Amino acid sequence: MPEKDESQAKPREEPRIGVYVCNCGGNIGNVVACDNVARVLGKLPNVVTSHSHMFMCSDPGQNLIIDDIKEKGVNRVVIGACSLFLHEQTFRSAVERAGLNPYLYYHVGLREQVSWVHHDNPKEATDKATRMMMGGIAKARYMRPLEPVRLDAGKHALVIGGGVAGLRSALDIARRGLQVTLIEKSHYLGGHMAQWERVFPTHQKARVLLKELIERVLAEPNITIHTGAQVVRTQGYVGNFQIKIRQEPRGVHGAFPNEQEAVAVCPIKQRREFDYGLSTRKAIYRAYNGCVPESLVIDWENCTKCGECVKVAPEGMINLNEEAREFDLKVGAVVLATGFKPYEPLYGEMGWKEFPEVITLAQLHRLLDDEGPSDGKFYWNGHPVRDVAIIHCVGSRQIEGVHRPQPDGNVNNYCSRVCCTASMSMAALIRQKAPDAKVYDIYEDIRTYGRGHEDYYRNAGKEQVTFLRYFAEEIPEVMRADESADRPLLVKVKDHLTWGETIELPVDLVVLATGMMPNPVDDLIGMFKVSPGNDRFLLEVHPKLRPVETAVNGIVLAGTAQGPMNIQESCAAAGAAASKVAALLIQGEVELEPFVAVVDPERCNGSGKCIEHCPQEEALTLETFTENGRTFQRAVVTPANCNGCGVCAGVCPNRAIDVAGWRLDEFEAMVEAITDEIPAMEGAI
Amino acid sequence: MTNTLKIDALVVGGGIAGMQASLDLADQGYQVALVEKNPSVGGMMAGLSKVFPTLDCCSCITTPKMSAVAHHANISLMTYSEVQSVMGNEGDYQVRVMKKPRYVIEDECSGCRSCEMVCPLDLPDYDNEYGRGAHRVIYVPFSTAVPQKALIDIDNCIYCGKCLKACTTNAIDFAQQPEYVNIETTSIVLATGYKTTPYDAKKEYGGGRLRNVVHGMMVERLLAPTGAYGRQLRPSDGRQPDNIAYVQCAGSRDLTLGVDYCSRVCCMYAIKQAMLLAGALPMADITIYYMDIRAFGKGYEQFYENAKAMGIQFVKGKVARITEDENQNPILRVELIDQNSRVVERKHDLAVLSVGMLPGFDPNSMYGVPVDKDGFIKAPNPNISPTLTMREGIFATGTATGPMDIVDSIITAGAVAAEAAAYIQSHNGHRQLVAEQTERSVTHA
Ligand SMILES: Cc1cc2nc3c(=O)[nH]c(=O)nc-3n(C[C@H](O)[C@H](O)[C@H](O)COP(=O)(O)OP(=O)(O)OC[C@H]3O[C@@H](n4cnc5c(N)ncnc54)[C@H](O)[C@@H]3O)c2cc1C
Ligand SMILES: Cc1cc2nc3c(=O)[nH]c(=O)nc-3n(C[C@H](O)[C@H](O)[C@H](O)COP(=O)(O)OP(=O)(O)OC[C@H]3O[C@@H](n4cnc5c(N)ncnc54)[C@H](O)[C@@H]3O)c2cc1C
Repeated sequence: MPEKDESQAKPREEPRIGVYVCNCGGNIGNVVACDNVARVLGKLPNVVTSHSHMFMCSDPGQNLIIDDIKEKGVNRVVIGACSLFLHEQTFRSAVERAGLNPYLYYHVGLREQVSWVHHDNPKEATDKATRMMMGGIAKARYMRPLEPVRLDAGKHALVIGGGVAGLRSALDIARRGLQVTLIEKSHYLGGHMAQWERVFPTHQKARVLLKELIERVLAEPNITIHTGAQVVRTQGYVGNFQIKIRQEPRGVHGAFPNEQEAVAVCPIKQRREFDYGLSTRKAIYRAYNGCVPESLVIDWENCTKCGECVKVAPEGMINLNEEAREFDLKVGAVVLATGFKPYEPLYGEMGWKEFPEVITLAQLHRLLDDEGPSDGKFYWNGHPVRDVAIIHCVGSRQIEGVHRPQPDGNVNNYCSRVCCTASMSMAALIRQKAPDAKVYDIYEDIRTYGRGHEDYYRNAGKEQVTFLRYFAEEIPEVMRADESADRPLLVKVKDHLTWGETIELPVDLVVLATGMMPNPVDDLIGMFKVSPGNDRFLLEVHPKLRPVETAVNGIVLAGTAQGPMNIQESCAAAGAAASKVAALLIQGEVELEPFVAVVDPERCNGSGKCIEHCPQEEALTLETFTENGRTFQRAVVTPANCNGCGVCAGVCPNRAIDVAGWRLDEFEAMVEAITDEIPAMEGAI
Repeated sequence: MTNTLKIDALVVGGGIAGMQASLDLADQGYQVALVEKNPSVGGMMAGLSKVFPTLDCCSCITTPKMSAVAHHANISLMTYSEVQSVMGNEGDYQVRVMKKPRYVIEDECSGCRSCEMVCPLDLPDYDNEYGRGAHRVIYVPFSTAVPQKALIDIDNCIYCGKCLKACTTNAIDFAQQPEYVNIETTSIVLATGYKTTPYDAKKEYGGGRLRNVVHGMMVERLLAPTGAYGRQLRPSDGRQPDNIAYVQCAGSRDLTLGVDYCSRVCCMYAIKQAMLLAGALPMADITIYYMDIRAFGKGYEQFYENAKAMGIQFVKGKVARITEDENQNPILRVELIDQNSRVVERKHDLAVLSVGMLPGFDPNSMYGVPVDKDGFIKAPNPNISPTLTMREGIFATGTATGPMDIVDSIITAGAVAAEAAAYIQSHNGHRQLVAEQTERSVTHA
């Protein structure tokens, strides 16, 4: 039975408005005459106090508000400052500390909307700031106290992606006593880290480190893992996401003694993704030896179901008719840890695909891996490799007009962060494996920035790696050498370490130090309504202050899904993401903004127009009521599903529905005030 | 007077890393005490002008965090306090903290600064302005300090009593003694931060000797709205500089100083300052002498590109020595790496040393937590568990674990909170189990 909403009532108390204009340390004050604005606004009706201040967000600034509320009886607060994205929470909590309902404060964006965009016109900017504040003050007269929508939250999180970041955040969340489901698209855990043999900065064996982490994750009773699994549908909101997962069949369950035979009889040969095509595999295969889960898996795309493997395997081990399964989960928060993919050069980009002797850094890692396709011997095409050129920044730090764009029309203008140190580590390793080899390292800047990274740079120098420096505008050229030459390739570099001389390097192998691109996750972006940045990686709320949260409450980021990072940084981000999830879910309850639709029961006649136009699922329903023997229909809001868009308010023929905190009467008052006369002031503005 | 405080986590150091770690733990419902040796929280970040790569005004993003740690129901904030001893075992530490006397009763002081107005003595402000500004003998540390409470530099006080009369809340107490707080805590988080390389460390650069050779933090203060001058000037004559040089790796990647690592932030802060200076002094030429520009973070490369587009000059060269001419203009002797290491001399009117990071504190003797060869806290498993230290129950975050910028400090603060929270959870769980078992055995005995 919907009762008459308390907040619907006209404010009973006389509004006593406190007005605060922030200088923002000059960000606003250098353009807008803040003191004057504050003085002018002080003359408006209901304004009991009006100040300007260097930093409203600082403690002294906040105390000013608190004192005014307590001592001057201020009961509505209007602040003109930076963007509310930065400081709405700060000021709400100050207002609340003073004992006032936090929603009796209104924030006017004087920095983003005024001083930054009108820095060349201080006079008009001051005028605009004044008018916007007048609008805020007008709204304040109509503001009512609001309460956040409180909802039960499932103490359960979903982690999407089983790379090192996903594993680490699953572990951290579970150790805090919450339930975790981890889903991984591929059929094994660990992501890219499994492909590197040794990792900087410790030179430890990556798969050993990874195995330790996976074992800790497996030992954690709060974690459930599904491989071959992806999200297909989502619904809901923070605290209560309903998620449908689809898990591909594996086809093989458990190990059996004659696995090798079952693989051998398979007639299909495919390029092995794990080795970036440097080796092949069958349609029944294992990503790599020692992977988790260990059992073989069927490559359904290429399997012809000839049944040869089934014949040799023990009864019931292999099931070529296994079906995919779908299941539902209810979780309170989601960690996106979908990782990266190595940049794939465009055809002909520094000889890529044009010459077989051009490989990527990731392939070099596989080639030098003791358990890799050539057992770690530095061979190419059956011959030992002698001289190598490593070219940095392939697919990173690109410049528009110089580099060919990606299919979406953009170049990758970011640094991929890991390739420099990874290249230094590989360059030294080559010299150790092939002491006679010449290694040329062709770079723009060497970015061995992290703790211990510089050692790799120095070590490469000690190993007599030759450094050449190119400028992005003059990309090195890779070409086929003459028939007669004893090295198949020639690399032409304009080297700026030697007066910009053009140097030709005859080499056996060219390694492109390819950077990172985000794994394509358009489906997840659509389903969770998160946004990618210009660099296509997932976007955080604030790149300095809130680096692991997204703009969608309850969805956080971990690892390289957000941008290039090394393992250490991915694990740190994963931990930070876990902290946010824990803080959100540990209480078993989440708070949502109260800006949701409210129905005026006196006015609603059940026309159903609002429901027709509502873009949200299950936010509005028509329900039947009986009151004093009379039966009628009325719209009812489910606050958790409403996003406060206000479409309903626009279509209701009876003005019976409104958005709390943003009612039509408030808008009307604001519009009127913005177009009103600015009160005169002695002295000029 | 001695109090005992039972908490889940003690965070040492109130810079951005320590503040964020405290908030992330407190938001999870844990009881936290944050101990900061200075009279205000905020750390180095509180003194910066704007931050790369967003050019957000730094106070605007620091002060709310400072305020949040002061007001969080689960955080006990102790500024101007130092840990005196750490006893006990893994998961059960007893820590004694000394609150240094401010000679101003914290609970009484309203931060109105009337005392400052009447105090007759000015002292150079070394802590916040690198000697380029002044504060009174009784002073609130800086305008956005948290807490906004005055303190007295008792060594320089002449006891004239003017502040005593001016104070409206009777907060001044010349006889104040240190107070001690005993803390029982399950875990400790070290967030003790960094200090910059002293700018006179490399004698060849003349820092501290040549007047127009300054360091990065001094420029931050010139650019900050809260700084002492509010405009750009060169120290020798107060004139606006119009040909500024940045000397990168001044104290980093320099084996002669025993610092073999990269300090990670100097490229970016130099670029940032150059952009801000170019905005403030549109006619000035700005040149950055560098070995490698390390713009590796998210959005940093574009920031670097923007600086180039603004006309900031980038010269790949190693500065060997700085001297000055008769007008005190710095003369840089530069080895131009891009020109086969040709050596040239370049005259500027202000040279800024992009000083690097050194560890702020060695926790070994007090906490039994060893540092690595670079002097920062040693991490036993840096790849997977970057916030662990060699001692169980003690964790580390921010620049205490190596040079890093603000966003990375915030991320590792989140990570340390997760690591510590898991530790507290298992410990408290264990403690509860022991308690239950004890109870059971008692009732059934
Ligand atoms: C050549 C090279 C060498 C490197 N060497 C080092 C080194 O020596 N030291 C170091 O510290 N770092 C190194 N790195 C970086 C390191 O590989 C990464 O930091 C790390 O692997 C990132 O882990 P992640 O979990 O973020 O991403 P990933 O490893 O990419 O894992 C993401 C996981 O998510 C899964 N996934 C993707 N989309 C979905 C979906 N929709 N649903 C479910 N699952 C999904 C993927 O299958 C994958 O398993 C190197 C990188 C490269 C390219
Ligand atoms: C010139 C310059 C410009 C910069 N500009 C930027 C920028 O634009 N953007 C950016 O991202 N980064 C920038 N940085 C880097 C930034 O300052 C650091 O990343 C950040 O401040 C590190 O924070 P922290 O908490 O780790 O350390 P700190 O800020 O050093 O905090 C450590 C705190 O611990 C306290 N403490 C130390 N020892 C003890 C003890 N024993 N007991 C109690 N308390 C103790 C200290 O007093 C201090 O308050 C810049 C650095 C410099 C030098």
